[in-house]
Amino acid sequence: MTYLVSLLLIALIVGLVAVASNPAPYFAALGLVVAAGVGCGVLISHGGSFLSLVLFLIYLGGMLVVFAYSAALAAEPFPESWGDRSVLGYVVIYFVGVGLMMKFFCGGWYEGSWMIIDTFKEFSMLRGDISGVAMMYSLGGSMLVICAWVLLLTLFVVLELTRGLSRGSLRAV
Amino acid sequence: MTPVHFSFCSAFILGLMGLTFHRTHLLSALLCLEGMMLSLFIALALWTLQFEMTGFSAAPMLLLAFSACEASAGLALLVATARTHGTDRLQNLNLLQC
Repeated sequence: MTYLVSLLLIALIVGLVAVASNPAPYFAALGLVVAAGVGCGVLISHGGSFLSLVLFLIYLGGMLVVFAYSAALAAEPFPESWGDRSVLGYVVIYFVGVGLMMKFFCGGWYEGSWMIIDTFKEFSMLRGDISGVAMMYSLGGSMLVICAWVLLLTLFVVLELTRGLSRGSLRAV
Repeated sequence: MTPVHFSFCSAFILGLMGLTFHRTHLLSALLCLEGMMLSLFIALALWTLQFEMTGFSAAPMLLLAFSACEASAGLALLVATARTHGTDRLQNLNLLQC
């Protein structure tokens, strides 16, 4: 079982190297999709099924879809993939860097390094992470109101940023 | 460091280096920022799960909400750049260059 989680963690690092080496944004979005998918797998293997579902739905299905649509703004005739010379240099440097850091900092799996939530609570109907998120509606209600207010504010920020006719930002005309 | 701890720390540092050494497109810098947010979500969720602090699982949800705000602001800037300069290449943002 640790082999599966180790594979997911390696896939997370590989996905982020694929994003950080800055290829054309089509391929970087693909790397981020893979990284988010295996990140969900890591969360599931620790017992956080609701948080993993939230990551899939909101992050992958909401934000990354919008990024994928916006990749049309970065269209170029010859998009650089990870095999092109300039991007491959960055990929190699990042892999070597991660390998060096792994040599110095990464330990092994030991007893107690992998705790799964709700380990001895099989007879509980409510799982740990989902009831914790439900606390956001009861005791954390003020934070929920602040969050909703910030989201509404962001809507107006986006409206003002993309307003044209020399009233928005970054307009030289 | 456990392997899980090392992997999301290195994922954050990789995203930060991709943002620092960005090359041509503004959108690839925004995608590196999203990668950093992904590693932070995984970190906070794993903090909740490994320490069995169930009340803390509101923290990754709130992080996701605020990162959605930040991503939308970044994409609005991208759209404004593409409307003004025709492309999102960073070498075109040189109006203040002497």
